Amino acid sequence: MKKLTVLLTLMFLLLLVACNTTSDTAKETSKNASPVETTKEKETAKTEPAEPVEIEFWHAMNGDHEKALAKITDDFNAQNDNITVKLVNQGGYGDLSQKLMASAKAKTLPTLSQAYEDWVTEYIQNDLVADLTPYVENAETGMTDDDLNDIVDVFREANMWDGKFYSMPFNKSTRVLFYNKGLLEEAGVAVPTNWDELKSAADKLTTTKDGKNIVGMGFENGVGMELIMWVKQAGGDFIDEKNRKVLFNSPEGVEALSFINSMIQDGTARLAGEDGYMSGPFTRGDVAMYIGSNAGIAFVANDAEGNIEWTTAPVPDGKKKASAFMGTNVTMFNTATDEEKAAAWEYMKFLISKENTTYWAMNTGYLPVRYSALESEDWKKFIQENPEYGVAQEQFDGGFYDPRVVGAYGVKNAINKEVEFVLLGQKSVEQGLEDAEKAAQAELDKANR
Amino acid sequence: MERTTWRASIQAYLYLLPALVIIVLFTIYPIIKSLLISFYDDYDYFNDIVYARGFASYQYLWNDPTFHKALWNTFVFVIGVVPASIALSMFIAVLLNSNIRLRSFFRTAYFIPFVTSVVAVSIVWRWIFHTEYGLFNYVLGLFGADPVAWLTDPKWAMPSLIILSIWKGLGYNIIIFLAGLQNINEQYNLAARMDGAGKAKRFFHITLPLLSPTTFFVSIVSIIGSFKVFDEIYALFGGQPGPASSALTVVYYIFEKFYSEWEFGIASAAAYCLFIIIFILTLIQLYIGKRKVTY
Amino acid sequence: MLRDALSKTTIYVALGIGAVLMLLPFIWMLLTSLKSGNEVMIMPPVWWPDDFKWENYKTAWEMAPFGRYLLNSLVVMVLSTLGELLTTILAAYAFSKLHFWGRDIVFALLLGTMMVPGEVLLIPNFVFLSNLGWIDRYEALIIPWTASVFAIFLLRQFFLSVPKDLGYAAKIDGCSDFRFLWTIMVPLAKPALFTIALLKAIGSWNAFLWPLIVTSSKEMRTLPVGLTSFSTEAGTIYELLMAASTMIILPMILLYFILQKYIIQGISKAGLKG
Repeated sequence: MKKLTVLLTLMFLLLLVACNTTSDTAKETSKNASPVETTKEKETAKTEPAEPVEIEFWHAMNGDHEKALAKITDDFNAQNDNITVKLVNQGGYGDLSQKLMASAKAKTLPTLSQAYEDWVTEYIQNDLVADLTPYVENAETGMTDDDLNDIVDVFREANMWDGKFYSMPFNKSTRVLFYNKGLLEEAGVAVPTNWDELKSAADKLTTTKDGKNIVGMGFENGVGMELIMWVKQAGGDFIDEKNRKVLFNSPEGVEALSFINSMIQDGTARLAGEDGYMSGPFTRGDVAMYIGSNAGIAFVANDAEGNIEWTTAPVPDGKKKASAFMGTNVTMFNTATDEEKAAAWEYMKFLISKENTTYWAMNTGYLPVRYSALESEDWKKFIQENPEYGVAQEQFDGGFYDPRVVGAYGVKNAINKEVEFVLLGQKSVEQGLEDAEKAAQAELDKANR
Repeated sequence: MERTTWRASIQAYLYLLPALVIIVLFTIYPIIKSLLISFYDDYDYFNDIVYARGFASYQYLWNDPTFHKALWNTFVFVIGVVPASIALSMFIAVLLNSNIRLRSFFRTAYFIPFVTSVVAVSIVWRWIFHTEYGLFNYVLGLFGADPVAWLTDPKWAMPSLIILSIWKGLGYNIIIFLAGLQNINEQYNLAARMDGAGKAKRFFHITLPLLSPTTFFVSIVSIIGSFKVFDEIYALFGGQPGPASSALTVVYYIFEKFYSEWEFGIASAAAYCLFIIIFILTLIQLYIGKRKVTY
Repeated sequence: MLRDALSKTTIYVALGIGAVLMLLPFIWMLLTSLKSGNEVMIMPPVWWPDDFKWENYKTAWEMAPFGRYLLNSLVVMVLSTLGELLTTILAAYAFSKLHFWGRDIVFALLLGTMMVPGEVLLIPNFVFLSNLGWIDRYEALIIPWTASVFAIFLLRQFFLSVPKDLGYAAKIDGCSDFRFLWTIMVPLAKPALFTIALLKAIGSWNAFLWPLIVTSSKEMRTLPVGLTSFSTEAGTIYELLMAASTMIILPMILLYFILQKYIIQGISKAGLKG
């Protein structure tokens, strides 16, 4: 009788085990993975797998972005008999970061993932990512100096830590101004090129038409995330990376936030709010202009079809020209086996080849990451026909990348929260900036203790 | 009577084994472990090493305005949901308990929200609450009211959440009240009727006192449930605790500290605070219940 | 007479208005899910779509792997329910019919755990499961949920109401405890077991926070988790969001219609005794 009880329990457990058919391959490979010593890695950056290898690539690309990524990956898989890259969509960047942390703990990291620079800084500290330098320098399968210098400077530099590569630039974006041609024409408003013009344009464009309220200007919900750009435009400093001090609570900071806040408070600008992203209200014609990522071009193009006439322009200048280059890179985790890493390296090179980075840019709105791609006939012709895609690259001068200090992500989130308090009328600009400074500094100190 | 013997005990524990293994591993051990984690001051998550122990997490909570806000919001939510939900569901249950047709139809209508996925209905409500194109503002507009930014104005986020939660939980309370009402002996009502007591009088002097054990039970369950609100917020505000954290509750705070910031110590400490609050409330309720409830 | 009729009318009107308010969100969801994009984002709202866009369901279904989510939800629901029934039957029998040392202490300890909110367990369970390597696997979604103190308590109450004599009679007939449990007690307890299973199934189908935390790949998500990520992807395409929500809500409403008697009975019984 006792045996029977045991038997039943066993059967039940077996049933559970039997059901776990998926992702077994992934699990097995990660079980075999052992931390490889860097010395060994340097000598033998193997490539060209002799046996079939499957690697996972975790990403946060959705909609048209995901389609374009899938197409490039399918091409890669078709060309490489022994390598299969499996795309795993993790939702948004926030989800991706959470899932990466969770799987780092559970030792189930994928081979490849998208990651922001400051994530990588943290992974380096925790010894989670693979040094790509041996792969880059490998005589057979690496990259030549010319090849390497072909990568846009800001992007290449953003992926180097103490002279070593830990990631490769992939989906790079910046902020641009989207505007509704029809509405601007009707109101007789020229495309704004500086802060004052932007403010007066927003004012003139805010009206009621056929019982529909139109708001002149729009900002994404995460406008606090791009505060750095506004502060720099106002001539201020944002963060001292060396001494790990935040600097944005300055007269310039107040000026920048007050500028955005004044438009929101007098109703000539709005946040995306419940629409999630500005592309929704913009393409419905509810908003005349907005500042957002050029990565949104594909979404806007899709939704605007048959609704509105639109294009993009550079972000209006403040006292200074400043545009943040954002977006993620592709990084490789060192929990992968040598074979997986070699396969992943092949895929990384493929992803940012001249042809593929051009294809990627044309279909998503992101920037090509290579000079050769930017100068290619294909691309030049393309941006002539689709000028909205060509605006971002005009902003390379005055371009900077986000601070890469550990905890930068937490800093940005903390600032974003406080900026939200200000824009939703819960705090004054001064109070908000002061609290943001405190919260951001606390995040920095915590991450670097 | 059977005697308790070694043999019988071993046999009995074999019966208990599967349940006990699961409950010990996934409930009892975590209860203790969570308390221990709440005293981790410096913890390396990746390698599972504790560098320092102490009261830092509790100190942090004591000084953290965000946590205080989460507590305050949670209280506001409980106060907003529980009394209204109990009053409404009792009223509807009394109406349903009278001799009417279509009773099962009505009961179904009120109950359906309860069996459906919180996440899915929250997304439906997100659409209803939409500022420009939402049904709610349209109806309000018919009465001449200005549109309300239900989900994006920090003033209105909590009321929206409360409306959704009352709607969602009403059916459960009604069912419990109906069961309670059916346990009340009709004789009392009849007798009172013969004495010429009016409807209102009968309700307040007979039904309400006799229903008090049920009311008592429903309020405990509702209060505890409301203290743990999370899914609704996550789905209603699209993975945010409302505009400007206006719908940040204790559980959401725990979730953020734990899953976004990986502050296990603080998250565990916050979870224990929640536990203590619920525990105290349950004790108070039990105490009042013992004294006041007429059985 | 007239007064009675009048008050009846008032009751019907009150209940009717209430019922409409309760059902309106579902009706609005269904109607929106069949509209074209232009009919959705419009003020004043269009109630009845010009023609039914059933393809919205197809589009939504193809935009995210809902088939996979559905399969996951079903697997988790069925296995955790079966598991809970098994552990519950065995434990409730021990607590109600067997005499053993420590019975009252163990039972009180278990009841005590019911006071602890599940959120307290979240973090240690997550750490424990990641150490086991169970994150993003069915084990994490199912095994922690295969025993419930509440269910044991409910079934124990039911078993206690079975007269003792029945057990003695069976014993005299040479029936072992185990056979007695499965051949006599379990069939007797069918209604109670049905209630436990139903409540469990509904809870499992709608569960959100736990699956959100322990799944990472799309392949392992359950329907509610998949729906929230879909809501980020679909953004403001409300007709698709409503179609997806309908697909998740409808099975439970159907289940409710088929089994409403048991569900209502179960809840009122469980409620009053708990």
